[in-house]
Amino acid sequence: MFTVLCAGAVLILGAVLALALRTNAHRTIAALATQCVSTVLVLVAVVPILRGGPLLTARWAWSYPVEVIVVHVDALSAFFLVWSVPMTFLGMVYAVGYLRPYFAAGRNGGPHFALLNLTSLSFLIIYSVQNALVFLLGWEIAAVAAWLMVIWDYRNQKVRFAGFNYLVSTHIGLFVLVAAFMLMHAQTDSMDFDAFAGFLARPSHLRSVAFLLLGTSFALKSAFFPFHTWLPRAHSAAPAHVSALMSGVIHKAGLFAFLRFTLLMGRPEEWMGWSVLGFGAVSAFFGVLYTSAQRDMKRLLGYSSTENVGIAAMGFGVGYLGLTWGKPTLVVLGFGGGLLHLFNHALFKCLLFYGAGSVYRATHTIDLERLGGLIKKMPRTAILFLVGGLAIAAIPPLNGFVSELIVYAGLLSGDAPSPVANAALVCAAALLAFVGAVSALSIVRAFGVAFLGRPRDASIHAPSDPPFSMLAPMALHATGIVAIGLFPQLGLVVIRAARSLFHVAGEAATDSLLARIVSPLQVASIVLAAGVVVACTAGWVRGRNARRHVTWGCGYTAPNTRMQYTASSFAAQFVNLFEAFLPQLRRERLPTSVFPAEPSHISTHHVDGVERRMFEILGQGEEMVSHAADRIPEQPRFAFAAGLVAIVILGGWLIGVGR
Amino acid sequence: MIARVLVHAIALLILPIVVVGVIHRTKSLWAGRKGPPILQLAYDVERLLRKRSVYSETTSFVFRCGPWVVLASSLASGLVAPFLGVRAPLSCPFDFVWFAYVWGLGRIALMLGALDTGSSFEGMGASREATFAALLEPAFFLVAGAACLRSHERSFTAILSLRAGGGAPLVWLGSVVALFVLVQVECARMPVDDPTTHLELTMVHEVMILDHSGPDLAALQIAAAVKLTIGLGIVASLLNPLTERASASSTAAVNVLLVLVLAVAIGTVESLVARLKLRSVPQFIVVALVAAGVALLATTWGGGGGG
Repeated sequence: MFTVLCAGAVLILGAVLALALRTNAHRTIAALATQCVSTVLVLVAVVPILRGGPLLTARWAWSYPVEVIVVHVDALSAFFLVWSVPMTFLGMVYAVGYLRPYFAAGRNGGPHFALLNLTSLSFLIIYSVQNALVFLLGWEIAAVAAWLMVIWDYRNQKVRFAGFNYLVSTHIGLFVLVAAFMLMHAQTDSMDFDAFAGFLARPSHLRSVAFLLLGTSFALKSAFFPFHTWLPRAHSAAPAHVSALMSGVIHKAGLFAFLRFTLLMGRPEEWMGWSVLGFGAVSAFFGVLYTSAQRDMKRLLGYSSTENVGIAAMGFGVGYLGLTWGKPTLVVLGFGGGLLHLFNHALFKCLLFYGAGSVYRATHTIDLERLGGLIKKMPRTAILFLVGGLAIAAIPPLNGFVSELIVYAGLLSGDAPSPVANAALVCAAALLAFVGAVSALSIVRAFGVAFLGRPRDASIHAPSDPPFSMLAPMALHATGIVAIGLFPQLGLVVIRAARSLFHVAGEAATDSLLARIVSPLQVASIVLAAGVVVACTAGWVRGRNARRHVTWGCGYTAPNTRMQYTASSFAAQFVNLFEAFLPQLRRERLPTSVFPAEPSHISTHHVDGVERRMFEILGQGEEMVSHAADRIPEQPRFAFAAGLVAIVILGGWLIGVGR
Repeated sequence: MIARVLVHAIALLILPIVVVGVIHRTKSLWAGRKGPPILQLAYDVERLLRKRSVYSETTSFVFRCGPWVVLASSLASGLVAPFLGVRAPLSCPFDFVWFAYVWGLGRIALMLGALDTGSSFEGMGASREATFAALLEPAFFLVAGAACLRSHERSFTAILSLRAGGGAPLVWLGSVVALFVLVQVECARMPVDDPTTHLELTMVHEVMILDHSGPDLAALQIAAAVKLTIGLGIVASLLNPLTERASASSTAAVNVLLVLVLAVAIGTVESLVARLKLRSVPQFIVVALVAAGVALLATTWGGGGGG
């Protein structure tokens, strides 16, 4: 316990130093050194827990209203800490290179580094305390720190708006969370999670309400559909490392809290499992649909976080159903797959955002329609981005496949008690297949348009690969991706302790089940990886001295780079099929005559369907209502009767809930 | 055991050549021509391997590696697919998930190669390939899921157990239809794509390989033939009348014959049916989805299967 406290103290010290020191070089060193020390301390403290060692517990009496602070680092906390804190450190290393042009322009980096330190501190708090008030404190530190980091480029009005949008959304989530805590406090007269557990263990109407409130709040934090509206804006506006940390690490706190309360709850009801599964499936589906249409690379990656938390939630949903039905197989596969997918997502999503950041730093744009041909100027970035992209599309020798395979195994296990439930789970698996294929489309589109072909905009000059401080974190993430892909046991070791917390009462959880699923395919994956390496080497070697010519233009001899296939045209075929969900904004002035005298232009942009609808209601809601109300006098008796029926139903429902 | 692996590997390398030859011969006969030799693909490949490749100045190493990755992924997917109607050498739980995603790898390599040329024509093909794949993938998993619910196996072997004798005609029929459509779309055969023309605007697969030449083109042609053979082999193993009690060698022999019959069927379809309008391809894929959905629903009737 002492080491964890020391880590917290070191982080605070680093934040103070970053604010107090005079030059950016000193601030950088202070922040990096303290992050490094705290990372080592945290690892020293939590790795033994993951290996089955004793848990860390401490309690302090505190003044009213907190009364007593219990700090408890169990396997779940240890699992989240063991990658959150080191990845934040890597994010800071990346930030040093990424922010260098700003520092050269005289910008003070101290507050930013202090905020990164505070983010790590908030992980220590959220993942270890057992008291609702202190938990809220950590939650709020993470939220506000993330907001302040998002608006790094605060002189830009769009960035300020994105930040404000995030701040409002995250606080709506906070209010819902506070409501849930108040409800549980009213029932237990305590702010301690252990006391909450006593209330949550018994099925009741109020428990269902608490479950829904907690679920909503955590879904907002982790950007589930339809609570994701803040996410694409914030991710697009923030510096790359902040987007990476928010998407990969900070917002996993929502899922952590969800799992924490799952543990407190014990055996859930069946509808909870189905709703978690359905919610995850809907998030994955819409998240991936939105990725297919974006032209801003970071918005695209942001939507893909909605997709990936959805996949993890599908795993958790399977686990929930397993808990309800008392099926250890489903529990192991569901929670195992979900936890591993969280970890994997943190690995590849940070890598992809870092790649996008490298592109932005070199070209000052991440608009896919203007990029192209970057692989020649930035080959290292391109290769690393491709590794992350293949992993996110769950392509076999990489880590994304391992976790999705486990989720598939849960969905296709056929362990549900009724044939209809089994068929529903298979449908969820088919949906996951669709999601996988569409995310392959999106990543081929992002990589193919930005890195391959030729530059689409002559005004963009990409100098070269980013400095070592940016490449090193990317390379480390890529190493993790390949390592877990080729040796899935590594991933299973990381999740084992946390996964074994979830088990069916009375039945021993089987560790060997996961190994039985991933090990045989590991052989196949290694064969495939060897084949791919040989193939790439062969292609590489053979191509070095080959004859060069131009791309065949189908007989057309004067192509220019603007005639290449663009990101929009690549997605058009697919997007047309799902037009209903993907609203498109067009700004156009089309040519009017055979010899147009005035220049014409067209610009298209896919906006967020949920956000658009929300703003529509906010902006024109009263018009809609008054329009509807205008029609009442035409049918007064009908409207009166309908209102009466509505009141009776609503009243009856409320009385039913209150009982 | 080793003998079986060897037979599987040899079949994986030789059968594709014969299958493509049979298809071409069938089409020639329908057209009133004599047609090329059955082993024409082997001669083509041998000729291409002697040539040199030419690369566009726009391309990077992605383009050079692409065809070989496609070939590696096709061959690797053959290691888990029971296209001979008997258990594959690397068969293991959930190998069909791996199989589907390995085909995904090949697809991605091909699409990236196409985009690497900077040609809008090839980009168009890549876009179509990605779209159709996204619609097809669920159909495959619905079939696989239905098969899993019917049997105790959780691998490709489960699909084999759907055979006509399995006592669930609707599941079997739905699966056969879904998989046959899947093979037609995935392997770029006739109602969807015409593998013999490189120069029409409605191409899917073929436009992506316009800029490949020499050994690269050979790799892509072998890969396409291997994929087609694996796909037909899986359909054939569903049609195979021999149950699991028959010896492995006779099952495999019957399966090879069935693959050739299916090749004739493909050739016949290609000779008699016009290509669909591109707009209609998604509707054609929906046929596969519906058939797979029927197969899945049918599992809920029979008291839940063995699961």
